[in-house]
Amino acid sequence: MDPLLFDALAAIAKILFVWAVVLAALLPNLVLLERRGAALIQDRPGPNRVGPFGLFQALADVVKMFMKEDMVPLYADRLLYNLAPLITMIPALTTFAVIPFGSSIPVTIGGVTHIIPLVIADVNVGILYVFALTSLGVYGLVLAGWSSNDKFSLMGGIRSSAQIISYELAMGIAAIGVFLAAGSLRLPAVVAYQHHGTFLGFLPHWNCFPQLIGCVIFVVSAFAETNRLPFDLAEAEAELVAGFHTEYSAFKFGMFFMGEYANMVAASALIVTLYFGGWSLPGLALTGLWGGLASIAIFAVKTFFFIWLFIWVRWTLPRFRYDQLMAIGWKVFLPLSLLNLLWTGWLVLASGGRV
Amino acid sequence: MNGELLVFAAASAVAIVSALAMLFQKTPVRSVLSLVVTFFALAVLSVLLAAPFIAALQVIVYAGAILVLFLFVIMLLNLTQEAAEKETRVVHRFLSVMGVLALGGILVGVTWKAGNPPVPITTSPNAIPVLGVDGEIPLLGRLLFTDYLLPFEALSVLLLLAVVGALLLSKRRFE
Repeated sequence: MDPLLFDALAAIAKILFVWAVVLAALLPNLVLLERRGAALIQDRPGPNRVGPFGLFQALADVVKMFMKEDMVPLYADRLLYNLAPLITMIPALTTFAVIPFGSSIPVTIGGVTHIIPLVIADVNVGILYVFALTSLGVYGLVLAGWSSNDKFSLMGGIRSSAQIISYELAMGIAAIGVFLAAGSLRLPAVVAYQHHGTFLGFLPHWNCFPQLIGCVIFVVSAFAETNRLPFDLAEAEAELVAGFHTEYSAFKFGMFFMGEYANMVAASALIVTLYFGGWSLPGLALTGLWGGLASIAIFAVKTFFFIWLFIWVRWTLPRFRYDQLMAIGWKVFLPLSLLNLLWTGWLVLASGGRV
Repeated sequence: MNGELLVFAAASAVAIVSALAMLFQKTPVRSVLSLVVTFFALAVLSVLLAAPFIAALQVIVYAGAILVLFLFVIMLLNLTQEAAEKETRVVHRFLSVMGVLALGGILVGVTWKAGNPPVPITTSPNAIPVLGVDGEIPLLGRLLFTDYLLPFEALSVLLLLAVVGALLLSKRRFE
């Protein structure tokens, strides 16, 4: 088989796999997980009537979204109003292109064995691609807020634009530490760097241990970037009705909803890749077909833990006040992320390039 | 006609059309959005020139941060219609014309110079001309901290000055 054609087919297969998992399997059921998780934390049963354990609740929710009346407010900027939900969804779904979701899988065709690395595109700008896309995601929120022509929506949009820029800065500087240690911007290189060896002799060689501050900043900033509680100031139903999506109904509202969860999955996958060893586990080689499949499972379990963390935190912590949010972003996280960078630089220097 | 030319033509067309749309749009918010599209098309052109790093920075810094701030200000002041009055002061008009002329001059100069074979940066002893899986990024970093150290630091100081200036202005206003 022509190697170019083979690469193209492999890439298409990987894209289909990732989107099938995220869009079809994960997103609808995350809504159910969130509702059941909220119920668990608030000590009530939650939606458990549709199907066994309420498993078909997701289906019922989707049908409800489709059947509702699709309203467009008078005096709304129709083009931008319709475009905004799409702008929220697309960056979240394209982020997965550079995240390695497993080691590699050997495929034998006509006696020749090809090793397929389980990452859709191993581009050399790696993480910068992710930051470029997530920084575009904010337009969805801002435009939804502005085009609805409603004061609450506008407030939500304004809030999200300032919030996301502030937290992107701390997040980016925290992430630099990871690439300083790994010596590459490529995410597969970051995972490979964390795969072997130990930290202090007994801990896994994961970035979250030497760069604890950076890790905490990155995780907290991820909450702010995905607009999840305690940082969902753009939505803030206690103050702004429903914030930027007050005027949205039916499936356009559903797309914001899905976009939030897609962003959450992407952020969890990124946290796992950067700080928690990605698809690797210390002491496991993870090669061959079974190794490749096991690595996907390991990645899925780790990512799922952080998705659960998102839900857990949402139903546990109260919302920040807006000035507190800005103060903690600029006055605490930014200096701390610089400190983390300095510390990592020192570590790299002291260990001669290998932390 | 190959694929690269096709992408180049499409990206250039999008860049030009969205830049014009930015100028002739009545609503400030839509103008900003047109500019975002322009920057995105320029990023695509950078990728075509085998400079994905520049493309990523272009999107992160301009489309993702600076224009979001533009939107923030426009929305905060709620400039729904073309609120800015027509510029009437002669000095301002003169300065804008001069600015446009200077920029045009630079563009013409650069285009003219590009006709001659440029000196490749990889001739510097600090540039190790090995393009591995990381592409041009290690090379870029190395050159920034050796051959181009002075301009790099000077630019950083310039940005720092801008930050201090902005702080000073906002402080004075509130006290």
